[in-house]
Amino acid sequence: MQDQNQQAYDRGTNIFSPDGRLYQVEYAREAIKRGTASVGVRTADGTVLAADRQVHSSLVEEQSIEKLHRIDDHIAVASAGHVADARQLVDFAREQAQVNRLRYDEPIGVESLAKEVTDYIQRYTQSGGVRPFGVALAVGGVDPDGTPRLFETDPSGTPYEWKATAIGGERETLQGFLEDEYRTDLDLDGGVTLALETLARSNEDIDPEAVEVSVVDTESHSVRSLEGDEVAGHLAELEGSDE
Amino acid sequence: MSRFTDPLTGADAVGDPTAPELGGGEFSGAGDSQANDSDTVNKTGTTTVGIATEDGVVVATDMRASLGGRFVSNKSVQKVEQVHPTGVLTLVGSVGGAQSFIRTLRSEVDLYEVRKGQPMSMHALATLAGNFARGGPFFAINPILGGVDEAGSHVYSIDPAGGVMQDDYTVTGSGMQLAHGAIEGVYDREMSLDDARDLAVRAVVAASERDTGSGNGVYVSTVTDEGVEIEGFDETDDAFA
Repeated sequence: MQDQNQQAYDRGTNIFSPDGRLYQVEYAREAIKRGTASVGVRTADGTVLAADRQVHSSLVEEQSIEKLHRIDDHIAVASAGHVADARQLVDFAREQAQVNRLRYDEPIGVESLAKEVTDYIQRYTQSGGVRPFGVALAVGGVDPDGTPRLFETDPSGTPYEWKATAIGGERETLQGFLEDEYRTDLDLDGGVTLALETLARSNEDIDPEAVEVSVVDTESHSVRSLEGDEVAGHLAELEGSDE
Repeated sequence: MSRFTDPLTGADAVGDPTAPELGGGEFSGAGDSQANDSDTVNKTGTTTVGIATEDGVVVATDMRASLGGRFVSNKSVQKVEQVHPTGVLTLVGSVGGAQSFIRTLRSEVDLYEVRKGQPMSMHALATLAGNFARGGPFFAINPILGGVDEAGSHVYSIDPAGGVMQDDYTVTGSGMQLAHGAIEGVYDREMSLDDARDLAVRAVVAASERDTGSGNGVYVSTVTDEGVEIEGFDETDDAFA
């Protein structure tokens, strides 16, 4: 009887269980845990996003697995969870960034963008016949006034702001590592190293070719993807410090 | 129309970037009101002047409303209104269009500030106003936007087709040529706010003398980073600093 009841409550996204839970939203969070991790780190000089691509076959073109996405000049997102769901949110975010430019002729703030996306996600927890987004995003960038910002979106549609965060599989472990290692005086290079070091906690055989890193710095206000050899350099630095 | 729809309402989830969020009415090109009989629509006729200086902005307007250009329908119209904590807009053209435009801009400015946690810049407000003038039901308006923000003092003219032009000083309305003549050669970006006020009032007075659409006194607004002051004078002599 208990089981039957539970099944009824987890069928619709817009139905609360008697103890006030939305099971479909909680299941969406489980879907995110199945994905590989992405990490975001905010530093005084800019915001860093890093993601580990899991390549299942040597025949897959690595570049085709996209976990970091440029949204506008000054904002990028890292995703964890369902890639197809992430792509929908990424394009929604891109449109919202352009709407802000058309409407006000100014670049959108990172917080405004994150909230536009989470408000959109929220509607998929309150409508019939749809499922929530099975993806979390780390939204990183630099505000028009030069402040680095980092937000997380959750399947419930709640925005969180972080100094540093991990989304996806093994989140608790990586988050714990970031909590121990994060310092507010990190520079951008230090932020990249910390992000890679965090990713390496979930994957010991981290491969420079399989890691994506993007930074948005406060000088240029623009998204830059690190080249493979830059990533390799940072990883080598890590290995050096381990010994 | 974007490809994203709201799963609750089925409406476009991205929205029209050029439309007001609230109170726009049917917002799709100029409405039928454009074709209203121009003889029965209250027009401001009008001379409105905006002058930017280092210390702030002065906006001065006359006080006459007319019907069909032949009858003074109101002798005490306030044609400059606050739309932003440090910004004002003038009413020029159709009174109904301009009043609706002002109400809409006020609510947009408030929404922007409460959502983003900072005041809207004058450039953003001018862009928004241009978008609304271009696409919307606020027909036949030609206002001046004057205000102060972090970047300094700004004056913009907004034309009925949505054209937005920034300048050191600008004039709109039926008395614009007369008022321009009074300002030309006298303006100086470094002039004091009091001198700018006197210049703006003189320009409105000059237009009121010879333009049948302008007259009946002057409203003066001064905008600084502290805020907005607006005062009306039936006797134009009282308006000088």
